[in-house]
Amino acid sequence: MKTVIFDGAKEGDLTIKAIEKSITDQLTEKGWEVEPLELRNMQIAACLGCFGCWVKTPGTCVINDDGRETTRKAIQSDLMVWLTPVTFGGYSSELKKALDRIIPILLPYFQSYHGQIHHKMRYKKYPKLLVIGVQEPGVDYEETFMALAERNMLNFRPPAYAVSVFQRAKDPKKIPVFVEEQLKKLEVIS
Amino acid sequence: MSQPRNVLLLIGSPRGEGSNSHMIGKFLVDKLEEKSLVSEEAFATRLVNTREGTERLLKSVDNADIIVLATPMYVDSLPSPTIKAMELIHEHRKAMFPTKSQMLVAIINSGFPEKEQIDIALKIIQNFAQDSNFKWGGGIRVGWGMALNSEPLNEKKGMTRKLTAGLSLASVNLSEGHPMSEEAKDLASTLFISPFLAKSMTRLFGNRGWNKQAKDNNAQTNMYDRPYEPNQ
Repeated sequence: MKTVIFDGAKEGDLTIKAIEKSITDQLTEKGWEVEPLELRNMQIAACLGCFGCWVKTPGTCVINDDGRETTRKAIQSDLMVWLTPVTFGGYSSELKKALDRIIPILLPYFQSYHGQIHHKMRYKKYPKLLVIGVQEPGVDYEETFMALAERNMLNFRPPAYAVSVFQRAKDPKKIPVFVEEQLKKLEVIS
Repeated sequence: MSQPRNVLLLIGSPRGEGSNSHMIGKFLVDKLEEKSLVSEEAFATRLVNTREGTERLLKSVDNADIIVLATPMYVDSLPSPTIKAMELIHEHRKAMFPTKSQMLVAIINSGFPEKEQIDIALKIIQNFAQDSNFKWGGGIRVGWGMALNSEPLNEKKGMTRKLTAGLSLASVNLSEGHPMSEEAKDLASTLFISPFLAKSMTRLFGNRGWNKQAKDNNAQTNMYDRPYEPNQ
């Protein structure tokens, strides 16, 4: 079983690094193959908004850089993890540059889903999805963050998902227990 | 807020001048220019990845009394260059003492017909405004971007009549130093046809449109390809 971690942190974010390590340790112990991707160190250009990945080279982005690899690794994993500082209630630009580029895992075609228009799915199988945001002290954007992730689930439709916010002010020693709880929600560990 | 003089149109779309974001934002800014405001344009995608670009962006923001952030919705929130611009502006303003009141206004457009799909993206910009010491001037949610077709907005055209009427009303509010009124925001965010009809037309004509574009690119037989299917 494979996990790919999209690490959307800035350089020097020790909390996100510790969460990433804990996920890696706990899954590796259970025999999973884990690949963390430090997005800030990858060549991923911003999405051009050209829809070429839908109507020119269907399923593949027209930009030939690491963005293609992150998309391939995502769809070929059993669990995809998004790690990000909570940024005004959303994702960091580092995480978002990779997410903007994975839209070729969907089809362009529209359909009604849960009463709204969404895109149809391209693949038969999608990975489970774990989204973790790290919230700075002094602000409370957890509600926005959770709502954003819930909306993403309507578009990516993973077979199972978990979304959670970890407060940066918390004792880092609590990270392994926090991570264990998330992985149990997804039933990837028991 | 005192009488504003300078307005910055900050475009978040990677498609630049030819984007719906630019067409909508420009209509509002043109209306503000008619009321004697001086405008400037900045494109996030071109500025956020270089030191010179970042300096230019921050200088333009510092100079503005009103910032109109016009951006598409990408994956339920904002395109990465828009977020990067917000991160840079926030970092810059954290370190400075605000010397004047500045207002931030958001216009977000989406290909989906339901404006409610834009709510979270709008909330993120509102949070940014609050965190970065901007006065919140309100947000407009423009659904069903395919109907605009990246053409300049026309007040006389039925498809854009409500949008242009709402933007014109908003320009009056903003030129007087006030946030956009509920009436202006509601009018600009309302589709010209019923949501039910827009959804039906999206499924029908939107899907035909994708096939047409694929055919123009000789890709029509590959539309359902799965290049990254596991075990291939």
